[in-house]
Amino acid sequence: MLHKRLKWTSAAVPLTLSAALLAACGGNSNNGGASASASASASTPAAGSPAASGASAGASAADTAAKPDTSKKVQLNWYVLGDAHADTPKVMDEWNKMLEKDLNATVKLNFTSWNDWQSKYNLLLASGEKIDMVFASSWANYYKYAKQGAFMDLTGLLPTYAPQTWKEVPQEDWDTATVGGKIYAVPNTNPEYTPNGLVYREDWREELNLPEIKDLDSLEAYMDGVKKNKKGVTPIGGKAWNEVYTLFTDYYDFKVYGGEGSVIASSSYDNPRDIVEYPFTPQFEEFVKRMKTWADKGFWASNTLSQQTEAGDLIKAGTGAIYWRNAPGAGGFITDVSKTNPDYKLAYFPFTRFHNYAIPTLPMANAMAIPKSSQNPERSLMVLDKLRNDPTYFRLMTYGIEGTHYSLEADGKTMDTPPAGMTVSKDWKPYDITSWGWRYQPNMLQTKGGWDGMDALNKEFAAESKPNIFDPITMDYEPVKSQVAAVNQVFKQYGQPLMMGLVPDPEKALETYRSKLKAAGVDKILDYVKEQANAYFDEKGIK
Amino acid sequence: MIGFFREVARNRVLFLMIAPALLFFALFSYIPMVGVYYAFTNYSFDGGLFGSPFVGFDNFKFLVSSGELVTLTRNTILYNIVFILLSNFLQLVCAIFLAELPGRWFKKTSQSVMFLPFFISFVLVGAFVLNLFSSQNGLVPSLMAQLGLPHYDFYMHTAPWKYIIVFFHVWKGLGYGTVIYLAAIMGFSEEYYEAAKIDGANIFQRVRSITIPMLVPTFILLILLSLGGILKGQFDLFYQIVGQNGSLFNSTDIIDTYVYRSLAVNFDIGMGTAAGLYQSLFGMLLVLCVNYIIRKTREDYALF
Repeated sequence: MLHKRLKWTSAAVPLTLSAALLAACGGNSNNGGASASASASASTPAAGSPAASGASAGASAADTAAKPDTSKKVQLNWYVLGDAHADTPKVMDEWNKMLEKDLNATVKLNFTSWNDWQSKYNLLLASGEKIDMVFASSWANYYKYAKQGAFMDLTGLLPTYAPQTWKEVPQEDWDTATVGGKIYAVPNTNPEYTPNGLVYREDWREELNLPEIKDLDSLEAYMDGVKKNKKGVTPIGGKAWNEVYTLFTDYYDFKVYGGEGSVIASSSYDNPRDIVEYPFTPQFEEFVKRMKTWADKGFWASNTLSQQTEAGDLIKAGTGAIYWRNAPGAGGFITDVSKTNPDYKLAYFPFTRFHNYAIPTLPMANAMAIPKSSQNPERSLMVLDKLRNDPTYFRLMTYGIEGTHYSLEADGKTMDTPPAGMTVSKDWKPYDITSWGWRYQPNMLQTKGGWDGMDALNKEFAAESKPNIFDPITMDYEPVKSQVAAVNQVFKQYGQPLMMGLVPDPEKALETYRSKLKAAGVDKILDYVKEQANAYFDEKGIK
Repeated sequence: MIGFFREVARNRVLFLMIAPALLFFALFSYIPMVGVYYAFTNYSFDGGLFGSPFVGFDNFKFLVSSGELVTLTRNTILYNIVFILLSNFLQLVCAIFLAELPGRWFKKTSQSVMFLPFFISFVLVGAFVLNLFSSQNGLVPSLMAQLGLPHYDFYMHTAPWKYIIVFFHVWKGLGYGTVIYLAAIMGFSEEYYEAAKIDGANIFQRVRSITIPMLVPTFILLILLSLGGILKGQFDLFYQIVGQNGSLFNSTDIIDTYVYRSLAVNFDIGMGTAAGLYQSLFGMLLVLCVNYIIRKTREDYALF
């Protein structure tokens, strides 16, 4: 008897123990499994609703008089990228008060924060959390997700629930949001140029009598002068990757396909069909050798790839001289610094000057979409329609509370920041949440006392504007995804340190990088991209 | 079968007591394991878990195609073996020292001081490392410059990082492990030691012949338990100290960080699960092997 019991308990102990071990081992896949199965079960009711609402949309479109039913009070869950402002809850309270009266709904605005936003964004869509509206963008894998079915098809809903937006957004903008004949997002309406460039300390350049920055040599001379004469200053402080990477692509005019981790590019704007693996070009070799000399001169720290500090923060702290920004970003940054550090003088060098042309940004670069998991897509669209088109709603959500975050000038088109009676950084910080997705130019405000170089820049860009022929190529990397993952890995491990000049011997490191890329299957991606891109160029009649 | 039911009926209470634990593991460990199926599908939001197309082993390709799998697995295993053996050894030594120390005040204080790093998050450890070794104004390079040593840039060489990572891992876990061993030592009967003293054994003889042999079961158990996670690496540790710094990957990349990097940008549920599955299977295999060896040599200490 006793013997038997012992046998049983002795069986039970290892059983639980092995369960514990398996649990420990399986941790990773379990998490994915749990969250994803939640999404699977959640998608069942949600999958039914778009069809149903599509039908109702069709019905109400038929008898046009019917106004959408808003009798049921709903709370909408919205997500945007980036970080909230300290006053965001206050702003949203105000906003929701209006919204509740007009549309019987409230919006809970959530933020992903910039830190690690890609993973968070991916998880948001995969986890099946009930989200009614989310920021979407060509640079946040919009086309991939739309193809995978992460977003709701809005084609049938737009005319009924966002009639004004449906009318105002031009057809060619809708086209850029169309995947497989269906519209999955509402692109923003704010034609602009967002080329890369560098913000730098102009006052130091003048003080040290350095040449004006207009090419790689004068840039080098500038950094050299700053490094030698300003003790404790690292020309590009913090993480210098963006500065160097964009300098590379824009200086040689490489048009990279598939984002930063990819190494496939058209060799220049004028030769779109000449598609190459850029690490195998002589230009790349020349560049990495030059970057080695820059790194050795201490233009950035040797641990720059481990750092998270923005170069711009170090400019404000007085220990940095250069910061990568796109043109509108530079305008914002220079305005900001003119308020926090009024004694500094900054200037901007746009990389468009290397080749003297600018490309307008794709409308789909900033948009709003509705994930499949949404339970109130109709109301969410109605709110978006209101937000874009009603100036009161638009300004409150975008610029904050009038009088607290900005004050409106007499013309009603210009805002003054900080508003009268407030001092910078003590009781006022610019209200700058990621409002890009719902931008609608007629409702946008100009900043008074903004950087005066911006207008000149925009004129410069408009004068040399060329059509955007690369961004609309919406490629699905599905057939080569394991090669893409492997190449991305090699890029991080061998490409980044090489391009930052952080290797003892660039020639040997280049050799290694190239052979690792080949092993990772870069040629397969090249063939695939060539085929896809050429098909697009044929279709559009680009030589 | 009938025997089993009779067994249940007879030991109702015992079975009742184990039921919550079994239920817990069934609910939170076994049922979610269904998600492993993702590793073999091409995930789509429409299809979900069972509706997505089946693609066999396609998702595992990216692990193999880069050719890094061998290096990564080797790095992961070697790091963990060093972690486990060195940590346990040092913890053991510290525990014995503490146990033999006479002063109560000193004993308590040093125990607390050793335990403190356990509470420090790896994010802070990462900040320490940056401030210690940064080439611009890090403590170590500045000290070396003061002492007139040649300039050495830690972030340009992969060699020192193995030791830095091992050091911080050991440093962080030392207090925790020491307490476990100390507790085991405190459980030993005083009589053994008294008897040994009467027989004229000095302190070293007592440690060698009484404390260490009696600690062996604890030692083996702790090692076995840590082996389960051997392929898990220590993601926080590596990620916070090394981050995205590709120039150091050759000696610091483990499966966890590799998988994180490849999927953070090109997020794919299928490939992520595939990598997790590889890691888990390998870990299980390892535990089974080690356990097998232990069972062959010292059966009493084996886990199962």
